[in-house]
Amino acid sequence: MTRREMLSLCRNGFGSIALMGLMGTTPFGRVLRQLSSPPGPTPLLPRVPHQVPKARSVIFLYMDGGVSQVDSFDPKPRLAKEHGQDPHDKFKVDATQFDDVGTIMQSPWQFRHYGESGIEVSDLFPHVGACADDLAIIRSMVADFPEHTNANYFLHTGVGIQGRPSMGAWVTYGLGSENQNLPGYVVLDGGLIPSGGLDNFNSGFLPASYQASIFGTGDRPLANVEPLEDSSDIQRRKIALMKQADQRLLGRVGHVEEVESTIANYELAFRMQASVPELTDLTRETEATKRLYGMDSSDPHTRGYATQCLLARRLVERGVRFVELTCPRVETPRWDQHANLKEGHERNAHAVDQPIAGLLKDLKARGLFEETLVIWAGEFGRTPFAQGIDGRDHNPSAFSIWLAGAGIRGGTIYGATDEYGYRAVENITTIHDLHATMLHLLGIEHDRLTYRFSGRDIRLTDVKGNIIESVLD
Amino acid sequence: MQLPAPHVLCRIALLGAWVLLLGLFSACAPGDAPVDLPERVDYNFHIRPVLSNSCFVCHGPDSSTREAYLRLDLRKAATARREGGGRAIVPGSARRSKVIQRIKAEDADKRMPPAETTHRLSAREIALISRWIDQGAEYKPPWALIRPALPSGSPRSVDHFIDTQLDANGLASAPLANKESLARRASFVLTGLPPSPALLQVFIEDTTAAAYERLVDHLLDSPRFGERWARHWMDLVRYAESKGHEFDFTIEGAWRYRDYLIRAFNTDLPYDKLVTEHLAGDLLESPRFHPVEGYNESVIATSYLTLGEGKHSPVDTRLDEADRIDNIIDVTSKTFQGLTLACARCHDHKFDPIPTSDYYAFYGIFESTRFAYTPLLSSRQQAWLDSIQSAQRSLRSSVAAAWNQPLGGQEPYHRAAVRTGLHPDKVSVVPASHSMPSATQMGAVSRQDSTHRWRMIGDFRDGDYDGWFPHGPAFESTPQRSLLITKRGQIDSLAYGMVSSRHLSPGIPGALRSPTFTLDMDSIHVVAAGHGSVIRIIVDNFQLINPPIFNGIQAKVESAAPSTYRFGVKLWKGRKAYIELMVGSFKLQQHITDIHRILRSDSSYVEAVYAVAFDRTAPDLSKLPRAPDATAINVGQAVDAWAADQATVSQMAAINRAVHSGVLPRLDIGSLLDLIEGHRSQIGDVHYIMAVTEGNAIESPVFVRGNYQTLGDQPVPHRFLSAISDDAKPFSGLANERLEMARAIVDPSNPLTARVMVNRLWHHAFGRGIVQSTDNFGAQGSLPTHPQLLDYLALRFVEQGWSIKAILREMLLSNTFQRSTQPTPEAHIHDPQNLLLSHYPVRRLDAEAIRDAILAVSGRLDTTMYGEPVPTHLTEFMNGPGRPEESGPLDGGGRRTVYQEVRRNFLSPMMLAFDRPIPFSTFGTRNTTNVPAQSLTMLNDPFVAQQTKVWAQKIMIMHDLDIAGRIQYIYLTALSRSASPEDIADGLAFLEAETQRRKLDPAAALNDIKLWAAYCHVIFNLKEFLYLF
Repeated sequence: MTRREMLSLCRNGFGSIALMGLMGTTPFGRVLRQLSSPPGPTPLLPRVPHQVPKARSVIFLYMDGGVSQVDSFDPKPRLAKEHGQDPHDKFKVDATQFDDVGTIMQSPWQFRHYGESGIEVSDLFPHVGACADDLAIIRSMVADFPEHTNANYFLHTGVGIQGRPSMGAWVTYGLGSENQNLPGYVVLDGGLIPSGGLDNFNSGFLPASYQASIFGTGDRPLANVEPLEDSSDIQRRKIALMKQADQRLLGRVGHVEEVESTIANYELAFRMQASVPELTDLTRETEATKRLYGMDSSDPHTRGYATQCLLARRLVERGVRFVELTCPRVETPRWDQHANLKEGHERNAHAVDQPIAGLLKDLKARGLFEETLVIWAGEFGRTPFAQGIDGRDHNPSAFSIWLAGAGIRGGTIYGATDEYGYRAVENITTIHDLHATMLHLLGIEHDRLTYRFSGRDIRLTDVKGNIIESVLD
Repeated sequence: MQLPAPHVLCRIALLGAWVLLLGLFSACAPGDAPVDLPERVDYNFHIRPVLSNSCFVCHGPDSSTREAYLRLDLRKAATARREGGGRAIVPGSARRSKVIQRIKAEDADKRMPPAETTHRLSAREIALISRWIDQGAEYKPPWALIRPALPSGSPRSVDHFIDTQLDANGLASAPLANKESLARRASFVLTGLPPSPALLQVFIEDTTAAAYERLVDHLLDSPRFGERWARHWMDLVRYAESKGHEFDFTIEGAWRYRDYLIRAFNTDLPYDKLVTEHLAGDLLESPRFHPVEGYNESVIATSYLTLGEGKHSPVDTRLDEADRIDNIIDVTSKTFQGLTLACARCHDHKFDPIPTSDYYAFYGIFESTRFAYTPLLSSRQQAWLDSIQSAQRSLRSSVAAAWNQPLGGQEPYHRAAVRTGLHPDKVSVVPASHSMPSATQMGAVSRQDSTHRWRMIGDFRDGDYDGWFPHGPAFESTPQRSLLITKRGQIDSLAYGMVSSRHLSPGIPGALRSPTFTLDMDSIHVVAAGHGSVIRIIVDNFQLINPPIFNGIQAKVESAAPSTYRFGVKLWKGRKAYIELMVGSFKLQQHITDIHRILRSDSSYVEAVYAVAFDRTAPDLSKLPRAPDATAINVGQAVDAWAADQATVSQMAAINRAVHSGVLPRLDIGSLLDLIEGHRSQIGDVHYIMAVTEGNAIESPVFVRGNYQTLGDQPVPHRFLSAISDDAKPFSGLANERLEMARAIVDPSNPLTARVMVNRLWHHAFGRGIVQSTDNFGAQGSLPTHPQLLDYLALRFVEQGWSIKAILREMLLSNTFQRSTQPTPEAHIHDPQNLLLSHYPVRRLDAEAIRDAILAVSGRLDTTMYGEPVPTHLTEFMNGPGRPEESGPLDGGGRRTVYQEVRRNFLSPMMLAFDRPIPFSTFGTRNTTNVPAQSLTMLNDPFVAQQTKVWAQKIMIMHDLDIAGRIQYIYLTALSRSASPEDIADGLAFLEAETQRRKLDPAAALNDIKLWAAYCHVIFNLKEFLYLF
């Protein structure tokens, strides 16, 4: 984009309007805000946030299916003491997804203290555990839904039904992106698309500009970025011919902003064809870096997730605003162990543990940690009692997540569950709070990032959300 | 709008000024001195928008967030004396009005709106409010709730209203567009396709004055018209063919609703009928029938109610139901009334006069509505059914005649009664409501043993339906009381004491559903027999019954003799439910997405003896009190009564005894049965749709703050919106309240219905509605740019029998529609957004039009209409649970986009990139975005690549055309115009350079597919192809 275009944008384009919306001033009054058709030539142009941001980018490590909190980041010795006893004698048991309530079940894993903070992490996550001093663990998360799909929509969009904008869409709507040659919101599909499908990553009623671009793991990372032509020369010629005709059109019909934007858009698309392959080309990464992530692991799923984590770093390095990683498809897919918890959780953990720790270390080594917010979370937790003999059912009343990186106070534990890890009881934290905190770190006041739909100014945080001050630096 | 005639022009000028202010204001910084205030300030057009945006959240209709006991939306309240003295608004004196004092307060703590909100009133807004108060603070009902009206005698045409406002603002209109543009524009607007070169030629060569009119009529008559406008409508009703959520289950027959819409728009079904069929097509006394197949057409419209998202295995069925109904209310109120009724789920509407009770009146109506697998019987099938019926009748009368034969002329044959007393005192079921009595209160408990609580839900032993609801031909509206059981073609006995779906024959579709009741016991037994059929307990109207938790409430019926089917319902105690006996079962062995599709075979049937709820032990019905024994039965009379289907249980028992004892002969009826079987085999496959049927009327109380666990005191009677039906009179209370709702919507006195629809038509014809917020005519919606035009069109719409085509025709024949897209320099400066329509707006084609145009241009378009959707083409990036087993064809079989499958979890990436909305709510207006994914699609998508080749193949073999001729052809086909000399020169240069680069022999180049594909690809990427001018 030329300086002239940039200036013209700021003068007339969507950038300035959105910015004023963000700044809370509406100089044109309500009428213009409604009548203006938002999409200017480059809706992803970076925009000034409400306040000085701590984080420039977000990497969201989505733990599909619901990791068991009492087996990962929330040790509960009482479960061992009362192992095998009837939970109904201990506390009120809520309706569960499978209605197959077994006895209280101790964790099959040992917990260890890590780092200066002495935070306890189970043996499922030895590598992440070693980074404990960088993590702010929230043990008191609650979700509104015990079913995957609704809980996924809730986690991703703040509303438990289909069709709402994903948090990545909200963030790029609010802030644009710092790299105009790559999408602003990228989902790295590790093999498992969550329940609820791609709508977890959509732009809902926000303009389509803000929907996620899905990168696959195959040879072609992103749909339609590979030129059809056997030589880039011929594509260039085609575009030249197209431009001639488009210019003649403008000569005939005069100044039409939308058409001019579309012409500009082709330039961007053309550049993306080059920047995506450059992004996914890992040949310039050192062997040491690759090993750090676990790309030499004997476990193919670890290798796969390691590649995704490395790509995530490369994306934020290039200024991409929001990156989400979905889980690899291990032999027991998702963290959704309704049976055989031990094997299933172990496989899933093995696939992600080293790559995640590698990502944290690599971000630090490159000075990106301070400007990248890393969120590790699933859609809900699991029951402290067994489902059947050796599984755990869904539990929306308590789960653990962690944050790291920009603006986060590492080595923190926030909130607590009851003695069984069944319900959050202290500093209960909602998904809305998580979203509010994330937006806050990005410099956005969550109650001022709105979009008018259905006659209402709608927010990612609905009418709720409190910033979790205690996890902030 | 009711305005006295002299004011009209002034008003229009004033509105024009309002419109123009946009342009002026965008040039000045906030806080600048207000300029150009209207002479007469209008509440609806100037004041309400300001108050609604800045004040109503705390001082508006919603009492729950009201501050300082002050509301400013009602004149009486706003002008009342305040407790602390003074008045918020003193009509005639802004200076004395507290509102003004507070708005202008220097002290930030006193200033309104409060500092913590981000709202600031601009100087202009403050000046407007002041002038309005000084002029008397006249309030008006919301503009959209005032019935459309026009001053008498005003000239009436679209152009009149447009031109008046242009004149008032001193703007000239653009000249008319050239014929090529006009043909392209009209063709895309009406059919979603470019004009064929042939049509274009006819139009260009037709130099008569009526040429354009003929073109418009031709396009309106094209079958492509219905395909185009059905798709517009599908955006309103969140059309999809699967339920989304976890496994994306296919919705049975959803596509038939799409076909219904195409037929409706093509035949110009009057809009009032369309609305009525949508809400109550199942309740019409004289429904419409499909023109060829002859099945009930009207009922298909109700499918729209069932097309929402569907949750897999909800832990809380009641919450799930509340969300489902909320979506129905949302879609229904936006689509038909342009109101956001769903905003009143948790509190009174914050901006519009919609109390929460309005929401729950609608809630009750839809809570009483049951989703139902609905068989569609063609007239051919109906004829075979009729012939089975008459064959059954003649079978009975011949049997009766034969049986009466030996008794003829003799004394009547008396016989002591068989001990037939079979049934206990009947217990009827009380409909569910929120104050439903439990079983114990009903006194339906066996007195013998208080620990064994039980309750009869349905007792069919005397052959009637016991208040259950029959649906479909298997269970006619009057029950049949007996079946003839044969052995080797000979009569063996009468089967009775049950309801059965096979009185006519097995395989006849239908269902029998109980009244709604409260689940207050642990278990339900249904004693039933049948084959290939199901019994389901439908809890809180939840249909998608699956493991893990729901498997206990659905059973496949597979038993020739009555068996007990047991359902554990402990998990759902306290919920409302009904029992459904349905012919046909589910495709459990299929791919997971298909498990909620119905599977009916020729031998499917279901019959039931009784259904009972109980806690621990099922009652032993043999120990129940029996009916008094009959005394003496006259077998002759019994036979006659049986032949007329009026036999009592005792009479049928007597016939059986008579047959078994040889008094009545075991007649051989094999040949008659074969005949019936022959008829039945002609019925063939039965089509099903998911539609609705009526259950008991259930009234819902208000859910306090939207939470069903905190209920208001009183159930809200079913009624229409209080702001529209003045007295908010409850509906009749009969079980056809959706019909009453439909009537209230299409009532000519409803101020919204016609306006909302003509505005939608205008939106599609001109790219922007007269009210830009097409789905929201409330205070938070946009104001009409041309209120009188809107009213004119609304009145005209009703006058012309709600004809959509007539109104569209009028719009398209207007000069306004025919203008060129080029604004005058003045219009460009003073009305940059073209709100006054001095010229025709340029816009990008929508997703479907782009794909369809590519197919039309390449020659691949297959115009086959109707039928099952073409499966979605799945790319490697489309993954997740419920992924179909196989991908559909890349080119969608060449069919129009409206026929491509819409799976919620596998939406077409091309459609999404080009802004087709995600199907979850009403979208009368799509976003128009500009994303790299769009350019990348046109540049690199395999579909586009494939179609350029198809097109090139066609061009390659045009041996009688030279290169320039081919370029001409390409331009005519794709861009609806001839190529200019420059176009041709550029094309030649490109093709020549390519020929050289690839070192092709120039003669062979003419037949080189790659060469032409490259050129065609460029054409698809031209903005002139993607935009409508």
